Amino acid sequence: MRMDTVIMGGGLSALACGISLAKRGKRVTIVASGQSTMLFNGGSMELLGCIDGKPVEKPLEAIATLPQNHPYSKIGADRIAAISERVKLLFSDSGIEMTGSANANHWRITPMGVAKPAWLTLNDHLRIDDLNNLPAKHLALMCVRGFFDVPNAMLAQGLRELGFEVDMIEFTTDDITSLRRSPSEMRATSLAKRLVSNHALQRVADQLNSLAGEADMVLMPSVFGQNDSSDFQTLQNMTRKPLRLVATLPPSVAGMRMMTQLRHYFRMLGGTYLMGDTAVSGTFEGDKLTSVTTAKLGDMPLKADNFVLATGSFVSRGLRADYERIYEPVLGVDVVADNDRERWTSFGVLQPQAYFGYGVATDEQLRCLKNGKPIQNLRAIGSVLSGHDPVKMGDGTGVSLITAIAAADHIRENK
Amino acid sequence: MAERMQLCNISENNFEQCTKCSICTTVCPVAAVTTDYPGPKQAGPDGERYRLKDPAYFDKALKMCLNCKRCEVACPSGVHIADIIQHARMDATLGKQRASLRDTLLANTDLLGTVANLVAPVANATLGLKPTKAVMHSVMAIDKHRTFPAYSRQKFTTWFKRHAAKEQDAFAHHVSYFHGCYVNYNFPKLGQDLVKLMNAVGYGVHLLDKEQCCGVALIANGLYKQAMRQGRTNIDSIRKSVTRDNRVVLTTSSSCTFNMRDEYPAMLGIDNADVRDSINLATRFIYKLVDEEKIKLIFKQDYKRRIAYHTACHIQRLGWQLYSIEMLRMIPGLDLVELEQNCCGISGTYGFKKENYELSQAIGATLFKDIADAKVEAVSTDCETCKWQIEMSTGLPVENPISILADALDVEATRQANNIK
Repeated sequence: MRMDTVIMGGGLSALACGISLAKRGKRVTIVASGQSTMLFNGGSMELLGCIDGKPVEKPLEAIATLPQNHPYSKIGADRIAAISERVKLLFSDSGIEMTGSANANHWRITPMGVAKPAWLTLNDHLRIDDLNNLPAKHLALMCVRGFFDVPNAMLAQGLRELGFEVDMIEFTTDDITSLRRSPSEMRATSLAKRLVSNHALQRVADQLNSLAGEADMVLMPSVFGQNDSSDFQTLQNMTRKPLRLVATLPPSVAGMRMMTQLRHYFRMLGGTYLMGDTAVSGTFEGDKLTSVTTAKLGDMPLKADNFVLATGSFVSRGLRADYERIYEPVLGVDVVADNDRERWTSFGVLQPQAYFGYGVATDEQLRCLKNGKPIQNLRAIGSVLSGHDPVKMGDGTGVSLITAIAAADHIRENK
Repeated sequence: MAERMQLCNISENNFEQCTKCSICTTVCPVAAVTTDYPGPKQAGPDGERYRLKDPAYFDKALKMCLNCKRCEVACPSGVHIADIIQHARMDATLGKQRASLRDTLLANTDLLGTVANLVAPVANATLGLKPTKAVMHSVMAIDKHRTFPAYSRQKFTTWFKRHAAKEQDAFAHHVSYFHGCYVNYNFPKLGQDLVKLMNAVGYGVHLLDKEQCCGVALIANGLYKQAMRQGRTNIDSIRKSVTRDNRVVLTTSSSCTFNMRDEYPAMLGIDNADVRDSINLATRFIYKLVDEEKIKLIFKQDYKRRIAYHTACHIQRLGWQLYSIEMLRMIPGLDLVELEQNCCGISGTYGFKKENYELSQAIGATLFKDIADAKVEAVSTDCETCKWQIEMSTGLPVENPISILADALDVEATRQANNIK
């Protein structure tokens, strides 16, 4: 089977790269080993959130100060500025409505009630542009009875510390109560599947309208709209006060929704998305990769002019560690990691962890290296890359999106 | 030394791979529509810890699992969630209780088919009658909304022996065909279409020495021992075809294929390692021949249709929908709509049972809406039970990709292009 480009991995970076290429008429196949870590996403993208523990206000400016080995440094601040605009377009073309700017971070709210710097946030989620000028004074935090996925007291406490006046209001509806029969299923994604019909949404709106009291904004956990934002819009239209959502613990409805929309758009552009298959090995000829074998396609390897490695980090099995080494399991390309296992981690889970920065080595064009030499038609994007730290630097989704589009450009330019 | 030991110390229990991310619960079609089912994470890896301690922790709600395998397809950690659930069901059933008459009848698709073929006109008329349906609904607990797929007057194998077998040896290449119960008893045309297609590109088609129902319905209905017997017979025949006759085995049903390739070893303990790669869905086999430029397909100039492709659960688990989709895309006049991957809700015999009817239709609702929105004249899928469900629920005809290919094929031009006399 011959394609223009085969992308190994099926998450955010794979889809962003696949969409960019498919949009220009290229035949693209994505090999996705199941669902991705986007289902842990709270509805925001971050370009660069922190340097040395301090929040970044102007990410594009701060990118220029990053060390040489950071993936952004290989692309350069000017190109990142241009690509960041194309990312916004890619989202809106996919039907994902987000707001934000690469010039100035805004704040997103975590389920724990912490404000974190963000680049883009879904329009239906709570976004704070300026901590000194909050979007509302008085919040009605609607707490769904029996719901697991938001620690309401911590969230309320965090919001109060930011300067909001917060009323915690518990409520339920018949549809929500019916879910409690199966205690393990009282989760955000299950609620999103129940709260779909106009009747179910009206019952929620009735509660919000009668209980929100003096508040000038109603805050709900992000449990609406598994496929698009229309369920939220319907609910907002039924609710008298402005309504915003706040991220829940994973799996998240916002992440599920964004993935569904990106996949749908990719398919619409003619892309092929192989869900539940895994790239297992590759065949090299000289300094080129010629084909990739997958677990399911077996004796019919995927051949292509270009390949992209977007298999993610340790959690997605794009990187593996055993007791002796850290390695990239599909193609055996070079990784940047300490040989000494003692250095991989530090004591204390909140301490900086060296392994977060490990990943595959690439040249300036994001080409993977094998035995120190670049593979001409193989690029790495997203979390599998070395040199960045999504936890400490808040650059995970940004690196995924920016490198995805930069790699798509390189693939095009090399023609 | 200590580190070496750790390196080898990996649990045999596949459920230990579960990281509790809960992603499987977001794709389960059953948990999406009912709170009676605990969801794949709880039913699978979580529950398994308890069941290892004491089998009494088995939860009857596990019978609600469709075995659609969508949880396994979604799992980022390679946990065989549905296999764990199926094994738990098997452990709880084996040697303890007998399947009900209804389940036994539904599961024995070949017994039912053999009898019904003999009296096809009577059977079809009777099974369609309201009084019959009412009796089946109340006495047998087979839902009254369901219409049994019509039985053919002539079995596929009878047709094949009378009208096709003689010519097959003359071809340069040869394959065997595992037709399955549906083709044999209900819809011989699909088998005839495959013969037409393969013959046009120079391949003779042959029956296996002995074919029995693959057993997918037997497993679903708890008749494991019978499934094992039939599975062994099938693998013996397949092995003879592959090693003695040098013929790979083609299929036209995604569930038979998945069952014989993956469920035989995983669920029934039947070792098929030596022949597994020789059990091939026909669309995949033909795609490979075209891809390697060993054959050419020429399609009719005037063929024009708009068709939606539905990815059946088991072909998604096989990861082979790609081949059926790419084959259909080769037909110049075919406007193909690829539907979002959602379960139709029938899951073999599941939806036929009275207690499951409403659930089955609720599960399929998303797919039916997508089909209505697609504005197509027909739907294509590789699964026969999806076909019944979609035909009943949308009113549109549903055709196997092989039938569509055979229909669109310009047989004479294809024979010439492949130098077949």
